[in-house]
Parts: sequence; structure tokens; C-alpha cells
Amino acid sequence: MQEKELDCLGEACPIPLVKAEKAMNTLEVGDLLIISIDHSCAMKNLPEWARDNGHNVEIEETGEGQWEVFIEKCK
Amino acid sequence: MEKKQSSIAAARAARRAARAKENEANQKKASKKGKIQITLGVLLFIAIIITGYVLKVNVSSKSALMWVFGISFGVTLQRARFCFTAAVRDPALTGSMSLAKSVLIAIGIATIGFAAIHYANGDPSTAKLAKGAYYFVKPVGLHTAVGAFLFGIGMVIAGGCASGTLMRIGEGFMMQMITLIFFICGVLLGFANRPFWKDKIFFKPVHFPKEFGWVPALFLQFVLLFLCFLTVEYISRKRKQKK
Repeated sequence: MQEKELDCLGEACPIPLVKAEKAMNTLEVGDLLIISIDHSCAMKNLPEWARDNGHNVEIEETGEGQWEVFIEKCK
Repeated sequence: MEKKQSSIAAARAARRAARAKENEANQKKASKKGKIQITLGVLLFIAIIITGYVLKVNVSSKSALMWVFGISFGVTLQRARFCFTAAVRDPALTGSMSLAKSVLIAIGIATIGFAAIHYANGDPSTAKLAKGAYYFVKPVGLHTAVGAFLFGIGMVIAGGCASGTLMRIGEGFMMQMITLIFFICGVLLGFANRPFWKDKIFFKPVHFPKEFGWVPALFLQFVLLFLCFLTVEYISRKRKQKK
């Protein structure tokens, strides 16, 4: 299992999602992608996109206005 | 399934432990931060009420009402993670329809509300166009399409429309301050050049209920909204098939 971190702090809304989508294509099934974000909007559309594509998602608030989104590639 | 969940849980636990260690080094700072947020929230809430009262006493009841509406609108946008930019962008970018649907529903509800307000403000068949709600019927034309196109490009690059940008500045997303500066520049330029647009480009305002009557106008509006919905649905489905 591989763990990949993606630093999207300071990136506005669609950028974390586009970056995550690209990173996801390089990963194998079972790998973990951890995305750091501080744009509240990405906290909604990242998990929604990932769940839509059948991946496992969890969010953790790591600081005030900062989150880590965990996505496990499932297919 | 259970095994898959646990790999996320393991990673979370590992990262939480690392953060806890980091916090231990500057513990006082970390524990203080959490309390400050609640205190500031309560103070801000009191300040909002006082400001509203001061506005009512010193300026007018209308200003106080606008203040309350503005705050409510901002809170709703923030808590709902509502974003007009994402509503028009996500169907094409990710195939997500949830925000697009909610915006269309919001316009539908607003249509009913505005119809009621306009209806209460006089008979559209009489020449009351300069008064009340009719005063706010704005001319439509080519400039609407050009402006919408420019605004669309701008808001996707900037990561927020007008309300979204303001809301995220309030959240503390500093990059959007740059957006705000240029947003203000754009608005000022637009208003400075408004006479030119008004004389040369604008058509006359079209008020559907005045032209067609109330029921056909509302019917037309909802048909148009439904067509919007079908278009968005089509784009979203196409995007999802591409993957």
C-alpha cells in the first residue's frame, strides 16, 4: 500500500479537485491519497467527487480552517 | 470493506499522533486557540446585534433590515458551502449536479417570491414602470451575454463569484482578497462607463408579466428553468460517461 500526500493549502476551489483527480490516476487500488486543504469549498466537492467514483473518503479537521481529506482508491 | 476502512483509520491515527506531539511542544498556544474561537464568536454575535440597533436608530430601519439580510445570507452561504461558481462549473468539471440543482430550485422559489412582490406593487398594465419593484427591472441584451461570459471565466479562475468571494474573505482565505481588489476595480469601471452602455447598447427593459400577463409569464419562467435543468443534466451525464 502506498500513501501519497498532496499539499493544496492556499489553492482555491477547483484546483485541489483537479490535482486530486490527476494524482488518483497514478495510484493503484488500495492506495491512500491525503490532501491538505484550507478552502472550505473543496471540503464539499472533493469528498462528493470521490464518493461518486466509488472511493472511501474521510475528513479530519487538523486546525482552524484546515482539513485533511483521506481518499482510498477502491477501483 | 472493513479492511479498507481500517487503512484510512490507521493513517488518520498516525497523523493525529504526529500532530499531538507537535502540539505538545507549544501546548499553551494550541489550547488557547480553541477557546478564542468561541469567545470571538459570541463577541461578534453581540457586535452584530448592536450594529443593527445603531443602524436602526441613526440611519434607518431599512438599513438595519439590509444588515440582517446580509448577515443571514452570508451565514447561509458559509454553512451550506453554497457556491454559485461550483453550481455552473461542477457539472462540466466533475459531473456533480447537487449545487446546480439547488441553484435552479432557489431561482424557482425566488421566482414565486418576486412575482408576489411585483404583483403587490401595482398593476403591470398601467404605466407604473418607474415606481416600486418595476424600477428594478433591468434591460436585457447582448451585453448580458457578453458580461455573463466574462464573469464566468473570471469567477472560475478566481474561485468564487461575488458572494462566494466575500464569504471566503470572511472565512479568512487570503488569496481571495486579490479577487476582491480587482472585483472592486471592475465594478467601478463598469459604473463609470454606464452612461455609454445605457445609451448605445441597452434595450428597453422587458417585464414578462406586463407583456404576456402573470400566468403565462410564470409558466414561461418555469419552462426556461426546466430547460436549464435538462441542459445541466445532459452536460453532467456526458462528463460522467467520459471517465
